[in-house]
Amino acid sequence: MAIGIKKVDSNITLTLWERMYAPEIIRGLYITMRHFTVNLWGLALEALGRRDKRKIMTVYYPEETLTPPPAYRGRPVLVRAENGLEKCVACGLCEVACPPKCIKITGGERENGDRYPLTYELDGGRCIFCGFCEEVCPKDAIVMSAEWRELCEYGRARMVYQKEALLYPQRNLQKRINLIRSRYFGVSRYRGKA
Amino acid sequence: MSELIRPGYDFHKETHTEPMVINMGPSHPATHGTVRFFLTLDGEIIEQIEVEIGYLHRAFEKECENQFWNGVFPYTDRLDYTAAALNNVGYALAAEKLIGITVPERCQYLRVIAGELARLSGHYTNLGAAALELGALTAFIYFVEARELVWDLIESLCGARLTHNYVRIGGVTADLPEGFAEHAREVFRRNRELWDDFAKLLLKNRIFLDRMRATGGISRQDAIEWGFTGPCLRACGVPYDVRRAQPYLVYGQLDFDIPVGETGDNLDRFLVRLEEINQSIRILEQCLERIPPGPINVDNPEWRQPSKDDIHRDMESMIFHFKNTFEGQKIPAGEVYQAIEGANGELGFYLVSSGAGKPLKCRVRPPCFALTSAMPLMVKGAFLADLIPTFDMINLIGGECDR
Amino acid sequence: MISPELIETAAKIIFVFALTLGFFAPVLGWVERKQSAVMQDRIGANRAGVFGFTVIGLLHSLADAIKLVFKEDFTPRGAEKALHTLAPVMAVIPALIAFAVIPFGGQYTLWGHRVNLVVADLDVGLLFVFAISSISTYGVVIAGWASNNNWSLLGGLRASAQMFSYEVAMGLTVIALVMYYQSLSLVEIVAKQENFWHWGIVWHWPAFLLFFSCAIAENKRVPFDAPEAESELVAGYFTEYSGMKFVMFWAAEFIEMVTIAGMCVALFLGGHHIPFVTQAGLAEALGAFGPNGAQVAAMLIGVGVFVFKLILLLALQMAVRWTLPRFRYDQIMKLGWKMILPLSLAWISLTGAAILAGVMPRP
Repeated sequence: MAIGIKKVDSNITLTLWERMYAPEIIRGLYITMRHFTVNLWGLALEALGRRDKRKIMTVYYPEETLTPPPAYRGRPVLVRAENGLEKCVACGLCEVACPPKCIKITGGERENGDRYPLTYELDGGRCIFCGFCEEVCPKDAIVMSAEWRELCEYGRARMVYQKEALLYPQRNLQKRINLIRSRYFGVSRYRGKA
Repeated sequence: MSELIRPGYDFHKETHTEPMVINMGPSHPATHGTVRFFLTLDGEIIEQIEVEIGYLHRAFEKECENQFWNGVFPYTDRLDYTAAALNNVGYALAAEKLIGITVPERCQYLRVIAGELARLSGHYTNLGAAALELGALTAFIYFVEARELVWDLIESLCGARLTHNYVRIGGVTADLPEGFAEHAREVFRRNRELWDDFAKLLLKNRIFLDRMRATGGISRQDAIEWGFTGPCLRACGVPYDVRRAQPYLVYGQLDFDIPVGETGDNLDRFLVRLEEINQSIRILEQCLERIPPGPINVDNPEWRQPSKDDIHRDMESMIFHFKNTFEGQKIPAGEVYQAIEGANGELGFYLVSSGAGKPLKCRVRPPCFALTSAMPLMVKGAFLADLIPTFDMINLIGGECDR
Repeated sequence: MISPELIETAAKIIFVFALTLGFFAPVLGWVERKQSAVMQDRIGANRAGVFGFTVIGLLHSLADAIKLVFKEDFTPRGAEKALHTLAPVMAVIPALIAFAVIPFGGQYTLWGHRVNLVVADLDVGLLFVFAISSISTYGVVIAGWASNNNWSLLGGLRASAQMFSYEVAMGLTVIALVMYYQSLSLVEIVAKQENFWHWGIVWHWPAFLLFFSCAIAENKRVPFDAPEAESELVAGYFTEYSGMKFVMFWAAEFIEMVTIAGMCVALFLGGHHIPFVTQAGLAEALGAFGPNGAQVAAMLIGVGVFVFKLILLLALQMAVRWTLPRFRYDQIMKLGWKMILPLSLAWISLTGAAILAGVMPRP
């Protein structure tokens, strides 16, 4: 155990010269102006086409966007398999696991006996982007996409996404599906056994 | 002039002055976190102060009773939203104590990493906001920049910047992403630079020192009696830190210092937090170096969330997965209190289980509630302007205090 | 009836208005945003644009002006309506008038007509500036009182105490200069600074520091912005102002910055003079343009130099504003009465002694 105790020194004594404010103002100006010159130089280089030299950490939002990391949880979407049908089997796990209860599913059955969601309603106004639906889904049928821009709407009713608005082709989401297979809760208990 | 000094002269009575009653908040630039002060001012001096909280009450504790054990995690994110992962860790530890399981070592390290990153973000927010409200906007933005970089790290680990939802009962959701350690080292290098700039802008500045020193002070005895914990208690010179007093996770094996102050005024609180940023970075660097390989969840499918592979291939995991999701984990009946060191102080979770899939009761001990209740003690008789740094150093987080 | 003098005065007034209201007030609004942004590792305002041309955010000042003009002119219930309207006017007009006596160039003879680049060459120009700028105090105090808002009232109270105190200190800091230059006319003071070694800042740099800090305190900018401290008093005395009335306070602050910088340039930084270049020397160097052309060129250079110095001081004020935290109200008072006032008195005595002893040769 090596958790020590460290006394902070709050007895910051100032010399008479420092008590006259002026040196402190100059020191402060030095720091802020250093940032100013470095950033201005970076902006000047950017104007000359060297985007990588820009030191400023904010971005010009609609023109430039940041790419979220692979783990990022954006808007939840449904996966449309290669055969054009939903992967979802309407088991209802996501509906139960959803903390704000924003998912409503009505299950149906195809002629061949496969279950599928007759309706799938996701209330984007209630969704808290916790990722539980993706986590519990046994069929990888709902995933959190990387979609985060302009999810706003005029009015809550328009934020209720129906099934058709949620379905995305699997090839667009394959990366995410691969990721969540390896990401969530580590490796299998039975690796090497099965 | 002579009648002014005659015996029995009562200035207030004969000049017909009366104190000004003023309502500060709930929407006032300084009362972030939504709180309301009823102030009685004599000129600029605070004669009376009443604190009214509850503007951000969202029935967290009641809501928990309607969620499955794991479903509570997104709600704990929204307690101290500047340091969300710490709340996750606290709740998970409490639930695991109730079950009686210990998570694997790698998972413990991951929880420490997530928690300390969250503590960094909380302290950056708090100190930056304190500087902002004393007028130093530039210092604030430097710490916001540092916080954004920390959030980049958290985002790559947890998947979200603010509401991490990272920890689960029996483990954590995900392992470290690739290249996390290098990314973290780069962030810490930049953050140390920003820390230096921040400290240089403020700590030798007489204007700032005069504003912070000897304001909002509280004695060691009072602080203990009012239930202070965290940086505000340590600023009084009491080296109480849950990480040191009752080491949980792997804190006992790590090498770091608990900063303590002396006088308990705002400057000490500020310096203690500033030093804790350095110590947190130290902890993180050690963790990234020492983190052992291994599983990140307990092995028992009854408690752990199964990995996707298990759901697809392993019948037992699949069954428990459906059972746990539909009915919640059947945590044995009993009650438990588990405290961790939150960004603001001792963050305690008191859980009662009836053996059903949902908590019977989930009570949170918010550190800043105790601190806020001592506000009148700290600012009575001070200037109106002293209320601002004191309230900043209390660091009232509405989500945590009102729940 | 239109005499050349009238045209000349009108031209000078238009120039001063264009410089302060037309150029500096909007540009300073832009600089305040952009400079602070770049200092703080941000980009800053860059969205307002016409057909995609944003001119690095310059159009924001225009957009702001248009927005504020069309905004509702709101007077709170229970406010003293007449005074509530009068207050911003009383804040902005003195700031503009004070610029009248600040020389923005020297004297030139153009086609036999003598041009003096100052709107009003008063013998007591210095006193005039103090007299006028003290009126703006009333604007602030009245605004605080007439708004019928407790925060405004507190802001007005703080402002009155602060501005009165610093006016005293500010007046005293220039007395040493008046002793040194033996004149109250700003034109004459500037004329006496032709030689670089007679610039105010050479001998009187302590007075410059004191004057500059007093002036910032007069203008209520950080670190002396207790009257409008947004974290304590919401927005202080202009909490209840919106629309054009708010613009007036906003513009008054920027115009006052320009006036402060102009005063500093005239008193301490040699006005339109270039270091080590005499007026005659300048005219001689420009002899190639012919007698009148040389005068015109010298005039343009003089005005340019004055504006350049102005911009330097404005940038300094901006940088200071974004670097420092703010004082507490009682600390401002302490600083004013216990530090700046005694120091300026000490500087007066020192200057007097030095002049009598012959150490400080007067120009």
